[in-house]
Amino acid sequence: MTRRKGLALVALFGALTLVTAACANDEGGGGETGTTGTGGTGAGGCEADQFGCVEVGSGEPITIGTLLAIEGDVAFLGLDSQYGVELAVDYLDGAFDGTPGQIAGHDVTLVNENDGCSAEGGQAGATKLAADAQMVAVIGTSCSSSALGVADQILAEKGILLVSPSNTNPNLTAEGVTTGFYARTAHNDKIQGAIVADFAIQELGAKTAATINDESPYADALAAVFRAGFEAQGGSITTFEAIQSTDTDFKPLLTSIAEQSPDVLYFPDFNPACALISKQAADIPGLKDTALIGSDGCADPSFTETAGAAADGNYISQPDTSAFTQGDFYQSEFLPAYQDLVGDSPTAAFHAHAFDAMNIVADAIEAVAIDNDDGSISIPRTALKDALLATSGYEGITGTITCDPLGDCATDVTIGVYQVPAVPFDDPKATPVFSETKTLADVAA
Amino acid sequence: MAEVGGAARGRALGRLERLPIRRIVLIALSAGVLGAVVYGSYKTLTLPEGQAYSASAWRDFIVLGVAQGAVYALIALGYTLVYGILRMINFAHGEVFMAGAFASFFFADAWKQSGFMDDQPWLSVALLVVIAMAVSVMVAVLLERVAYRPLRGAPRLIPLITAIGASLFLQNTFRGLFGSQTRGYPKPTGLEGTWTILGIPMQKVQVLVLVVAVVAMVALTLFVARTTTGRSMRAAAEDAEIASLMGINVDRVIVTTFVIGGMLAGVAGVLFALTFGNISYFMGFAPGITAFTAAVLGGIGSISGAAIGGLTIGILQSVGPALLLTGVDVPSPFQLKDVVTFLILILVLLFRPGGILGTGEAEKV
Amino acid sequence: MGTPIRRGVEAGLIGGLVLVYLAMVGMITKFDELVLIGTQVTLGLVLLALPPLGAALAAARPRVVGGRVDRLGPLEGLTAGVTAGAITGGVIAAWLVVVDRIGIDRVRSVFIAVSPALVDVLTFGRGIAGGVAILIVGGSALGALGGAWRSLRFGLRRPVAIGVGVVLLMGMLQRIVPTILDELNIERDWLYSKVTRGLTWMGATIVFVVAAATAAFWIDRRERTAAARAEPGRADTRGIARTVGLVAIVAAAIVLPHLAGSIVSEILGTVGVYVLLALGLNVVTGYGGMLHLGISAFFLIGAYASALLTGANLVTAFGLVAPRFSANLNFYVALVVVVIIGAIVGALLAAPVLRLRGDYLAIVTLAFASIAVILATSNWLQPITGGPQGLRDVTDAPLFGISFQDPQNFYYLVLFFCSIAVYISWRLAWSRTGRAWNAMREDEQVADAMGVNTSRYKLLGFAIGGAMAAVGGALFSVKVGTVQPGSFEILVSITVLAVVILGGLGSVPGVVVGALVLLGLPGLLSQLEEYRLLIYGGALVAIMILRPQGLIPNVRRSRELQEEERTQDAWQEIFAQKEQAAAEQADAATAAATLEEGS
Repeated sequence: MTRRKGLALVALFGALTLVTAACANDEGGGGETGTTGTGGTGAGGCEADQFGCVEVGSGEPITIGTLLAIEGDVAFLGLDSQYGVELAVDYLDGAFDGTPGQIAGHDVTLVNENDGCSAEGGQAGATKLAADAQMVAVIGTSCSSSALGVADQILAEKGILLVSPSNTNPNLTAEGVTTGFYARTAHNDKIQGAIVADFAIQELGAKTAATINDESPYADALAAVFRAGFEAQGGSITTFEAIQSTDTDFKPLLTSIAEQSPDVLYFPDFNPACALISKQAADIPGLKDTALIGSDGCADPSFTETAGAAADGNYISQPDTSAFTQGDFYQSEFLPAYQDLVGDSPTAAFHAHAFDAMNIVADAIEAVAIDNDDGSISIPRTALKDALLATSGYEGITGTITCDPLGDCATDVTIGVYQVPAVPFDDPKATPVFSETKTLADVAA
Repeated sequence: MAEVGGAARGRALGRLERLPIRRIVLIALSAGVLGAVVYGSYKTLTLPEGQAYSASAWRDFIVLGVAQGAVYALIALGYTLVYGILRMINFAHGEVFMAGAFASFFFADAWKQSGFMDDQPWLSVALLVVIAMAVSVMVAVLLERVAYRPLRGAPRLIPLITAIGASLFLQNTFRGLFGSQTRGYPKPTGLEGTWTILGIPMQKVQVLVLVVAVVAMVALTLFVARTTTGRSMRAAAEDAEIASLMGINVDRVIVTTFVIGGMLAGVAGVLFALTFGNISYFMGFAPGITAFTAAVLGGIGSISGAAIGGLTIGILQSVGPALLLTGVDVPSPFQLKDVVTFLILILVLLFRPGGILGTGEAEKV
Repeated sequence: MGTPIRRGVEAGLIGGLVLVYLAMVGMITKFDELVLIGTQVTLGLVLLALPPLGAALAAARPRVVGGRVDRLGPLEGLTAGVTAGAITGGVIAAWLVVVDRIGIDRVRSVFIAVSPALVDVLTFGRGIAGGVAILIVGGSALGALGGAWRSLRFGLRRPVAIGVGVVLLMGMLQRIVPTILDELNIERDWLYSKVTRGLTWMGATIVFVVAAATAAFWIDRRERTAAARAEPGRADTRGIARTVGLVAIVAAAIVLPHLAGSIVSEILGTVGVYVLLALGLNVVTGYGGMLHLGISAFFLIGAYASALLTGANLVTAFGLVAPRFSANLNFYVALVVVVIIGAIVGALLAAPVLRLRGDYLAIVTLAFASIAVILATSNWLQPITGGPQGLRDVTDAPLFGISFQDPQNFYYLVLFFCSIAVYISWRLAWSRTGRAWNAMREDEQVADAMGVNTSRYKLLGFAIGGAMAAVGGALFSVKVGTVQPGSFEILVSITVLAVVILGGLGSVPGVVVGALVLLGLPGLLSQLEEYRLLIYGGALVAIMILRPQGLIPNVRRSRELQEEERTQDAWQEIFAQKEQAAAEQADAATAAATLEEGS
């Protein structure tokens, strides 16, 4: 009994000595970076900045967060974007060689969080990222619902910039709703919906249309924008239906739509619902003359795999890859590098947007970082945001990127409408049957 | 509560209190639902020309409903069998169904690529069914051994919770093993297209589903009625304890039940995959719930009940929204098909707590 | 010696299969990304080590044969353990060789998790032959440890186990603890590496020594107090100790968010919301014995009702608009309405199904949950609920100018309502109503015959459960500030069910602990996210079979669960469990027995 108590005491004492030793040891090392941060030349700029500066010590990495849907059913969307960010970090040194590049002479460390594709997931992830005092900027979110009113606000309160590669919900950059610390390289849904409406009316000469959206905010918004655009050009909507993404039998629904025999059926959903709608519509005699159009949510290989021959002749709207200003770079350098990294072809359409997002963030950091004498840098937060939103004429993969003050950086977007089987996710060299470029100003009116 | 004093007085008061609340709520609810059904149908059927559905659309709704209902009936048989013997909802039956479909996918995919599937459509489908049955039976028996047998005799809530857990576990195991993406399930070219039966064009696969469902039900009925094993199954369903006293190995009967349930799930899995052309790890959940609802609606524990329940649900889902909601200006009626189905289920259970073919009064736990 | 080897082989085969399963579902590869200590010790490595260790422990554990406890001697235990470990390692090694022979690419085209990265983890980067050797030798070594474990003195093995556990936990909390230390301005480079983010070896050693020493000290103290208590004429101090413990827990709960920072507060906020949901379900399922799978519907109703009653913006593709119906009530006034709505809907749901037996209730409540989500999403109700896009700008429930959207403040709000719900649950359990539920759960017909108005108590149960869950929903809407149908899927119901089951049906402290474990841990460990549902499912099955009374059992309920009629072998298993529990209690130094053994 006594022996054991003695053992416990010895152990406790030993532990305390070790802790004290460890602390003492590190006070010397840790102290250096601590004192220099405040005394640097950047002090003036930092004091003036509402949210202060991020101090990155000499030899320490710059911390960038990602807040993407990297787990669960929508992981194909989030991981695709995350690979885009990783490739951008790799390419900071001008080569896809597996050696990450640097920003302002510092390495970059990525902290990946999951946005859960939901408001509460966005909240949990953003809170974790915002708690990190070294967090400079966050690339995310994948789903608009994670950002809108949740992640954008939590990060903005700390002055952390949020740049999304795939949020398309119009509200995120609406006047009076945007937080000011939010930007996106993805196209606003207003543009895609309007271009598809143009395609239906001008190219197909459609007079009537029906829409089917699933329960995701993305599908709901895109279908609504399409309906508005279609009606504004004189078309009429026969049916707007909704489905659950887990449904498998759409034939009764399609039969009821066929009763009005619309010229166009727009279904901006995700697979497998997209593919099943396309496949089952082929069996409905009343839909023989109806043009079926899916959106970028349908644009992955399982669409054609599941729908098979039934999908031939269907249309898919998605960013026009052939209009990427650096088309050669995308085809001959980016895609092979992606293949090397992941071992597979892209699963979603937003890896290029993520690549661009990371790059404009890197450029903005380069522009505002204040070099201190000791090799450390200070990054003023508000100045960083202003620099990013002032991005103009940046030549990214997805096009020329110019941000507007509300945070839309894809102000000038080319959406292509592809006809199956010539679709980019099956054939990277496919060209669209219809392509149109619109600016936000066009659709604002 | 008044029962503190005299027990008799308490009981009388209790009965008095009990009657009105339940009756009033019941009558109000059923009158409400019935009224809505009648009003909705009336409005839809009297819609002006142009907005109303054509006769051929109604016919299509019914045909599609029957085809879909046959799939539900086939899955519902598995629930009904297990319920009949063990008096428990095998929530994981949907996953047994998914497991069979998933296992056969890899063969189907390989055979499609090698051309075997298109050369020998019937043989390949038959082989796929055998493979799916084998895997489903394996999963079902394993499930019984690991998750249900240790709990025999436990309060009824317990195996129900285990079944939910097992369902979640199996689903996510398949997700981990084979990935979360949906895969396209190939179909032999011989099964593409339609046959015209009685002037109604029907998908070949759907005809196949109907035929298989009918054959499975007849075979099952004969098996339960005529064979020794079937007789011991009925005995165990009646009273397991007495059956075991009479020399019936109840454990073996239960395993047999799971084997048969697994075989049915395997067949249903392949047919489901052929009908919809895709599989994924969560494909079992939604049809599983619907099929279970069908089993309950028809009268759980009864084989013909599963058939009637399946067909009723299938038709309700395709005809219901159009008939009940279109006329009353509810936008997107087909979005609410599950709402319609479940409301009708509750309505049926109010009047016939044992389901359509069940006994009038549900037995108490 | 035949028996130990046979036991070892049996346990080893099961252990090996478990390991192959873990490898094939991708857990080992995924968890290998999380470095716990230094540069080598990853969570994947720990997962790899657990099956051989577990198999050896299982092989060497005492068991009941014919009503007699059969304990293995130290040497026999060692033999059984080494055999189990070696077989476990052998199974995974054999699997590895088979995969290698078939060709990893071909295997991967079916089993996506069998990647080169997995092979790399399993072979420790030394090729197949080296890997096989390491797996078998390492398995045997771990098996030896597991086999010999029981022969070690309790006073030594318990502190070591606790020490290792705490080190692993600290390693897993690498995203949280450093931020907390940063917020508190405590230097932490000695503890956590900035490169791998895991513990440094020095940090791990210190944590181990501190934890083990504390545990040793604690065990020693407990033994002494137990011995002292056994002496006649001494005042019983347990009551005081319990009060002190309770005060300490309350005090910790109050200061926690300020110590632990925003991440922990955020997670605790979520845990709190789930505690409310689980307490609601506990009333229906734990007390009343009715399986309720529709708790997520009440969560939804509470959230939407509070958002609409306090005024929120409806999100459309063309900007924010006001919903068709909304009020501008104060949140706390609205909350009263929400409680009433939750109770009424609960009673309405229960009313038509009163006559149905338990299983039908499960399907009807499940149907109700899916109807609620479909209606909230539907185009039909979109002018009110916002459809898929939902509602935003929900009130932050200000009180004296304090906003509760901030995670640290929200924690207090949710703590307050959880305390009320805990109090109500606790009072209900010991009230006449609670006893009526008890009677009803044990045997409805008998309860009915004894004059318990079962219909009324069923309705009451559903109403109270519904009201509690609705409060949870209202608080959730304040916390997130946005209400979308996607947050209220049926999965929420199943998660809440798992919380109640894990904690112990009918046990209020169990519910709190269950929520902390099932929601707190995954919140802290983002790596678990992908396998969260797999673990939940497995846990539901395992708990129901091995420990149906849950982590913290409700006294009355666990008695009932154990007194069930069971078949013969089930009884034997129970005997075995009781024996084992008794053996462990003896180990746990309940007084003199161990003292003697020690000195």
